Amino acid sequence: MYEEAVRRFVVALFLLLAACSHDHGPPRVQHLPKVDGSPALRGGGAPRSNRIANYKIEARLDSQRHQISGSETLTWTNTGASAVDKLPFHLYLNAFKNESSIFMRSSKGAVRGARATESGWGWIQVDSLQIAGTELAPKLVFPNAPDETVAEVTLPTPVQPGEKIEVAIKFSEQLPEVFARTGYKGEFHMVGQWFPKIGVRTGPPGAEQWECQPLHVNTEFFADFGTYDVTLNVPSTEVVAATGVLIAANETAGGMRTLTYHAEDVHDFAWMADPYMRLITGQAKVEDGVVEVRVYARPEQYDFAVRHRDAAIGAIEKFSSYFMPYPWATMTVIDPPVDAAMGAGGMEYPTLVTTGPDHALMRPGIRIPEYITVHEVGHNWFQGMLASNEAQEAWLDEGVNEWADAHVMSDLYGPHTSLVDYMGWQGDVTALRGLDTEDAATLPSPIATAAYAFVDNDAYGEQTYGATMNALTTLEHTVGTTKFLAAMKAYARAFAWKHPTGRDFYATLEQQLGTDLGWFFEPVFQKVGGMHLAIRNASCIPGHKPRGVFGEGSGKKTLGEVEEPDTGAFVCEVVVQNTGVIHVPVDIELRFADGTAQRLLWDDKGQGNWERFVVERSSKLVEVRLDPDRKILIEPPVTHAMRLIGDGAASLRAAARISWWTQSLMQLVGP
Amino acid sequence: MATRLGLGDLLRAAPRAVGRYTGTLLAVFVVETILAFACMIGIAALLAQAFSHLPMWDEAVDGDLYALLSCIHYARVHFVGCAGIAFGALLLWQLASWFLVGGTLGVLARRPEGRGDTARTFGATGAATYLAYARLALCSLPGLALVSFAFTVGIALAEPRMTQALTLPQFFGPLALGTFPGFLLLHVLWTVTDYARVELTLRHESHDPGAVITYLRTIAFVIKRPVTLVHAALGWFVFALITAGYALLAHGHPMFGAEGAVALFVIRQGVALARSTIRYGVLAGQIEIGRTRALPPRRLESQNDSAKG
Repeated sequence: MYEEAVRRFVVALFLLLAACSHDHGPPRVQHLPKVDGSPALRGGGAPRSNRIANYKIEARLDSQRHQISGSETLTWTNTGASAVDKLPFHLYLNAFKNESSIFMRSSKGAVRGARATESGWGWIQVDSLQIAGTELAPKLVFPNAPDETVAEVTLPTPVQPGEKIEVAIKFSEQLPEVFARTGYKGEFHMVGQWFPKIGVRTGPPGAEQWECQPLHVNTEFFADFGTYDVTLNVPSTEVVAATGVLIAANETAGGMRTLTYHAEDVHDFAWMADPYMRLITGQAKVEDGVVEVRVYARPEQYDFAVRHRDAAIGAIEKFSSYFMPYPWATMTVIDPPVDAAMGAGGMEYPTLVTTGPDHALMRPGIRIPEYITVHEVGHNWFQGMLASNEAQEAWLDEGVNEWADAHVMSDLYGPHTSLVDYMGWQGDVTALRGLDTEDAATLPSPIATAAYAFVDNDAYGEQTYGATMNALTTLEHTVGTTKFLAAMKAYARAFAWKHPTGRDFYATLEQQLGTDLGWFFEPVFQKVGGMHLAIRNASCIPGHKPRGVFGEGSGKKTLGEVEEPDTGAFVCEVVVQNTGVIHVPVDIELRFADGTAQRLLWDDKGQGNWERFVVERSSKLVEVRLDPDRKILIEPPVTHAMRLIGDGAASLRAAARISWWTQSLMQLVGP
Repeated sequence: MATRLGLGDLLRAAPRAVGRYTGTLLAVFVVETILAFACMIGIAALLAQAFSHLPMWDEAVDGDLYALLSCIHYARVHFVGCAGIAFGALLLWQLASWFLVGGTLGVLARRPEGRGDTARTFGATGAATYLAYARLALCSLPGLALVSFAFTVGIALAEPRMTQALTLPQFFGPLALGTFPGFLLLHVLWTVTDYARVELTLRHESHDPGAVITYLRTIAFVIKRPVTLVHAALGWFVFALITAGYALLAHGHPMFGAEGAVALFVIRQGVALARSTIRYGVLAGQIEIGRTRALPPRRLESQNDSAKG
């Protein structure tokens, strides 16, 4: 009997472990995918952007070695007013080449909880670079050596304004084991930032400069719009998803196949190959048609894939409604395998994003997976269409997108339950994301800092994401949601298919809102110091007419408590202060013992650091609340409300709970 | 030959002991309640110092997640202080429990008649065995280190699967498997300690056995008599069941229909008393089986013999 019990236990253990594993068996040949019938841009039509950088790429994936060999033809137009004598190219994969890269130095080999492995180095090598038949590869230099993520070549002949140049490049590359957006994990390949990519000319006409930053852990990407025609030669066992639409699919020799994708008015191209992915689809309805939503996930992640799909559909519909309709025919969401999620999940490319985190503890109602999908899909507006410079002004896409995400999540899942609605606990995106953000007043780098120039990576994350969202939400509450949303829509429409800057953002909002917002933008985005709002003093004394000695000579009389008794009213004084640099209008609510309340407004626009309010009421002041509607998210709100007389009831209730658990532990160790 | 008691015998000892020595059970529980109450007051005072003027704390305690996290962020030091008070109470209870367990076991072993005799027996046995129990606690430290090692290794082995789990069974399965050896070892060690205490109490006057030798002998005894482990495990199971049942009933009702902390405290003391009764019943069973053990070496006699020689 004992042996039988042991045998059963071992069998149960084995079955449990087997249930926990995700063994998919050997890769099988996949059906040749059908080409997409729709144009890359919904409804076709004229180019949306100026299409400065256009790429034709052919690439072959060696899925065993995780290597890619390819060739590209770049057609680039000088749309500036000055001649161009050199071309810089991003070679992003060299960020993973060795520990001398700026990326590895700035990340210390770890990004968002994922860590580089000793065997997983990645690199890209330019084998040939020809312009008009002249080989220039030997002349490539790395201006930021030993970092090799940017290479420059001096042109034999400058490109004059308005001229086009065609560059033929051959390259070979090793994908890294994924820990920062791109690379492989087992059979999964997420291929992003993978081809030689030209920089962007920025600046006033006639004084344009190349903007081609080396890859730093905090910097993402910046590129010109264009068309992409990309032919991928991959094993027939691979399921492939990519930016744009599939326009051709053919079997070739040796168990390979070619898949040709076409994308328009995008500034990047990414793709995924994995033998075990499955596809689920849906449609998002926008004002001028429908968008095909595709989610790729492994079978065991099906339940999460459905959640991601629904979130993606909701995000496309809401972002389209808030800002401008999603212009492309497809939106692809890659749900990376669980062992690759930390490294590959949560990244945005035009028409293709990666998401996560799929985990057992992400129960329905804990909407972090949905939030990641909404955020990444949202980037198709803020950076995908409004292609701001992520290296120089990361807040302009990440932070603005965070602000928009909060609206979309609120619409999709309820204003108080947009992030958490689980077992009685509720929380919304803005509030809970705000908690994740350190008080901006304590950070030495303002929001409008170049991503690579923050004091540290934490400060970058807090200012760029949470603090920007908090600032924009505060401004929205200050000017009114309807007006603010209209202004943001105008900004999106004015700068879609362009490279907006922070100055463009400020100017558009000021113009749309019809007011000077320098008092807000300057201290919030450009300065350190934050906001330090506090109730300095609050007190009440019984009211009465003036007492003392009045009159002169024979008319002199002394009025005391008897002659001028208390009127029964109270004279209450409240002093509020703000010792920070950010001054926004503050509502003040005074609550009185008889249950009544009175609202005051402190709107100094930065003119003063304190204000005294005196009110006379028939009842005693019992509580003061600064910002009672929680419009201000710039600083933590705990001390924004104050009782004049302390009340320990809540503390006692909390203590009862804590002591209960302590007693439970006591019973474990004692009699 | 000693009677070999079964699980039923051990279980039947529980209601007998609770019925006959209810006062002892309640006395021990009162001490526990006083300590828990003092802990509550200390924590309440500390929290009130930080939050009595801040209405957001009221929202936090009433279930507003954002307010709760904000308040914790605002007054981290105070919450660390609360943890310190709780830890202090736990430590104090551990020290007091050596006396209380000694007294309880003394009463159950000697079966005194009348309140006065019971109280005298309780006090005398508790005091007499206190240092022996303290030495026993030292003896159990290597075992507890082993338990810590088992938990550490088990969780480390389970962690990769847990971090990639997509369903609750995939998450809790490896967790259960990873922690099972640690819990099993802990259960064995706690049971050994329980029976070593019983032995020290039963044989204190007649044999005055040493703590180390008693501990080592008891390891062998517990391994030879699996019923001891099953009996203690049943006790823990009911203990967990009561806790889970209360948690289930209380879920979604933070104050369980009562407005004040005092009402909450009273309700929870009822649950705690039920659990104490279970622990008390287990001790009663352990005394029964402890009586059947082979007698330990007679240390007092051997000392006398050597003195004579």
